[in-house]
Amino acid sequence: MFEVRDVHVAYGAVTALRGISLEVREGEIVCLLGANGAGKSTTLRTVSGLLHPLRGEVLLDGRPIHRLSAEAIAKQGISHVPEGRHVFPGLTVRENLVLGTSNQSNVRRDEMEADIARMFKLFPDLERLKHALGWTLSGGQQQMLAIARGLMARPQILLMDEPSLGLAPILVQEVFRVIKEINIGGTTILLVEQNATMALAISHRGYVMETGRIVLQGPARDLLQNPQVRDAYLGGGKPA
Amino acid sequence: MPESLSMNGQLLFAGLAIGSVYALVALGFVMIFRATNVVNFAQGEFSMLGAYFLFMLWHGLELNYFAAILVALLIMVGVGLIFEITVYYPLRNRTFLPVIIATIGASIMFQNGALAVFGPSPEKVRPVVETTSGTGGIMLAGVFFDYQYVIILLVTVLLVGLQYLFFEYTVLGKKMQATSQDKDMARLLGIPVAFMIALTFIYSSLLGGLSGMLVAPIFFVTHKMGATLGLKAFAATICGGFGDVRGAILGGLALGVIESFGAAYISAIYKDGFSFLVLILFLLLRPQGIFGEKVAEKA
Amino acid sequence: MSSNEIKKATGFHWLRPGYLALVLGAVVVILLPLLFTSRYTTNLLILCASWGIATLGLVVVLGYTGQISLAQAAFYGLGAYAVALGTTRWGVDWWLALILGLAAAVLAGAVLGSTTLKLGGHYLAMVTICFQIIYTLINTNWIAVTGGPDGISNIKRPPFFVPLNSAQKYAWFALGALLLVAGLVWWLRDTALGRAMRAIRENELAAEALGVDTRRVKVIAFILSAVIAALGGAIYASGYLYISPDSFNFDHAVAFLAMVLVGGSESALGAILGATLLTFLPEWLRDLKRIYLVIYGCAIILVIVFMPEGLWGYVKLIGRRFARTAVLPSARGTLRVGGRGMAGEEILRVEGLVKHFGGVKAVDGVDFSVRRGEVHALIGPNGSGKTTIINLLSGLYVPSAGRIRFLGRDIVGLRPSRIAHAGMARSFQNLRLFRELSMWENVLVGAQREVGSEADTQERAVAAIEFVGASDKAHEICRNLPYGHQKLVELARALAGEPDLLLLDEPGAGLNQTEKQELVRLLKRLNDMGLTILIVEHDMSLVSSVASVATVLNFGKKIAEGTVDEVLRHHGVVEAYLGNREVALGV
Repeated sequence: MFEVRDVHVAYGAVTALRGISLEVREGEIVCLLGANGAGKSTTLRTVSGLLHPLRGEVLLDGRPIHRLSAEAIAKQGISHVPEGRHVFPGLTVRENLVLGTSNQSNVRRDEMEADIARMFKLFPDLERLKHALGWTLSGGQQQMLAIARGLMARPQILLMDEPSLGLAPILVQEVFRVIKEINIGGTTILLVEQNATMALAISHRGYVMETGRIVLQGPARDLLQNPQVRDAYLGGGKPA
Repeated sequence: MPESLSMNGQLLFAGLAIGSVYALVALGFVMIFRATNVVNFAQGEFSMLGAYFLFMLWHGLELNYFAAILVALLIMVGVGLIFEITVYYPLRNRTFLPVIIATIGASIMFQNGALAVFGPSPEKVRPVVETTSGTGGIMLAGVFFDYQYVIILLVTVLLVGLQYLFFEYTVLGKKMQATSQDKDMARLLGIPVAFMIALTFIYSSLLGGLSGMLVAPIFFVTHKMGATLGLKAFAATICGGFGDVRGAILGGLALGVIESFGAAYISAIYKDGFSFLVLILFLLLRPQGIFGEKVAEKA
Repeated sequence: MSSNEIKKATGFHWLRPGYLALVLGAVVVILLPLLFTSRYTTNLLILCASWGIATLGLVVVLGYTGQISLAQAAFYGLGAYAVALGTTRWGVDWWLALILGLAAAVLAGAVLGSTTLKLGGHYLAMVTICFQIIYTLINTNWIAVTGGPDGISNIKRPPFFVPLNSAQKYAWFALGALLLVAGLVWWLRDTALGRAMRAIRENELAAEALGVDTRRVKVIAFILSAVIAALGGAIYASGYLYISPDSFNFDHAVAFLAMVLVGGSESALGAILGATLLTFLPEWLRDLKRIYLVIYGCAIILVIVFMPEGLWGYVKLIGRRFARTAVLPSARGTLRVGGRGMAGEEILRVEGLVKHFGGVKAVDGVDFSVRRGEVHALIGPNGSGKTTIINLLSGLYVPSAGRIRFLGRDIVGLRPSRIAHAGMARSFQNLRLFRELSMWENVLVGAQREVGSEADTQERAVAAIEFVGASDKAHEICRNLPYGHQKLVELARALAGEPDLLLLDEPGAGLNQTEKQELVRLLKRLNDMGLTILIVEHDMSLVSSVASVATVLNFGKKIAEGTVDEVLRHHGVVEAYLGNREVALGV
């Protein structure tokens, strides 16, 4: 459904992605793993249009999207929930959710209300907090809000960047449960995570990155058993 | 009514009225700053341009006064847009120093452009409520309520109210707030950020122009009027808390009142200096202003 | 190798043409008043010289130090009025009056400079504008002292070796003064102070972390700019023999800014170019006199957008074509790092360290210590507080609670520059190089200390650059260096201060395998030479290769410490990074 082909991305003098290729098929959860600095976030930001590749292509249903602006890509149905949650601090939970529909033109009021109701069912805490300002929410609540807001866009594909970052273990479980549920509901997800075990437990397939390259890929089941995944994070004991 | 009480009432009223003008200009600053993190040193010039356009249309082209106001406001929309495209947009990714300098350059251009076109003699514009003896008013409880001042206050209250309603209750207002709070996130949601910013500049230009038209009948219209107005409004935003809407309004009003009383009780000659003295005091003692947060840099 | 030899060998091609320019300048100064003899043009030369001097002041504060000042006309006025009042009403000798004016400028500059310390950016611009406006207000209205709008006339000329009783002779005096000030400003650029200023312009935080007392330098920059401007004003006053407040108002402050931007704010010659152009341009465009300020305003915008380095930027570009690559001399000795002390003694001790940001506990009660001779790794998943700890240690953040002892001293609350001087150096995760400066200049900033000569500084810098193996590119501007080299500069800069302890924040980020291997080699060598290293890293192979001891953080707390092997096998650490299997499978 969407594909990244041999993408090279640089920030100024630093080459962050050195020719990566991956694909995400409809209905899947695909996870992108690797240590900090491996290039996972850079990959998501290239897909969502915040960055543009020097070489290579990003294709959505066969159409190249890598030259489009972030706003245009959002309109194509790609919803990016970035690292660090980024809820709008001065707006309420409800307002954040409403803005989640900004990628669609002519949003019908009743449909939007139905979507919001659906979000509240998925995240009951948010309903309680619907008039609370973004900055007053706890980390976990903000993460839930960010995900819900991403879903309001009725995306074809949801890009999630480190949803578990900074969350206490119990909340991490909750977040991943929700992600699985969203996928069962039909949303395709590309998930970037440092918490490899969690991510692999709910994904169909996974890719492992190291310094801007993909070094390992395969069905999640296989990767869970594969000791090389551990090496990508904790070193292989192979001295440099 | 004892004379001092009515005189103080007078000073208070006048101070609030002029302070309202400062508040409107200050609001223009704050809007642009919140959306783009840019301090627009040419904000005062928007007021000056508004006043001159009104003068040109009403006196020069002899349009109906109220029609002239409308047309002048329309022209200010254009000014705001052109300003955004030529001054802000090319520099939007540079550090703040080039942008400050560029807006200073724009300010000089506007001021001296007006000087070149209209000449140095101050011009007079009629007040909104025209009476036989210039600007009239009513006497209430020993205080003379000048009509123009009353109108300034009313317009300011109306505008601030409308602005509040717009930002609180419309989706567009929310989108603009979102753009101010987190530009990249807004883009990721599909919000047309460039358009939001253009709207912000247009709005600030309208605020500026309107404030200039309101204050024109009281002071004369000169090419310099924007400079003092802008600087005082800027002082108001800093004292109120930079980037804070309440701060801009409160700061503007307070500064107007301080000036009014200062000129009467301390010195009329140095009237313009009071704002700057208050500003310096705030900058030294409490740079974040009344409503602002501490300024700090992250590693 | 003597300091002269180092200077000659390390100087890049400009230094020699610089002296040439001075000689040429002297020739021009002598010729100009002979060529332009009408009263009118001679007066213009005097004006140009005065404005040129004022603009040179802006080179110091804006061009070198990056601080915007719109009060330059006020300082210019201080000098002018001091000399005017001195020689007319107070009956004082001209030179004494000048000194009074310069003293007033020192005071004003110090006050203005001090306000920069808490503020920056647009706040600073505002304060300088306010100062300028208040100055003009007082100047115009305090008639008793300043004469008000009528100004002051019959100003005297300075007593000199030769009586300056003609406009031509005074023009030589004025132009000579311009040349002198230009020479001084040009010389300042490559001194330790000048480098410190330029470092602040490029990246104030990094400058502070390298040992530059940014507060002091910024105040000095303002004082210098004020004093120079005052000198210009004094020369103007005695040139035209009559002054009024109109010449010292905000419009003129803006004109000075335009001059320095158009000419090129970072060079003395640029300032002179700009001043000359904007002195004579209004004269040549006499018909456009009404709109020349409009053109100024437009010019400022165009220059900022299209040629931020001004005219001088183009001259430099041409000059670079003819540049000879200078070579660094070889160092006399090797790099000295690690300080003196016993191996194994505790040099850093952290107790109960806590840091809150609003409601977030980035660091939540951490204890650890570092011993001399160790390579100590600080690891943990994203967001665990590692970089915050580095920032706390180097003084960029102040802890919410807890103690930090370095080499026996409590360093909490010390400025980063003081901590750097005490022997702690650091690198930054997102490189903070002085991008427009060369590698050589970057490392010099790291090497300079309050005691010791320029020769010592250069010695240390050369040794550091040689150590990292980057001597061949030493004179390249950092912006143009490949990423791997930029990281080496960051390292060399930190080493040049001869630290006892080196803090490295993700030194491997963005490097490829080969570069990482080179890094490991360098770090091992440094450790052998006695340097203690605290390294934050995500690449565990790198950590295993280089570190002996590790402290692991998660959620701002320490969860494990020990040797690197122990720690990487500790199940709590594995879980912190990879997640808990049971929990995961239960989802």
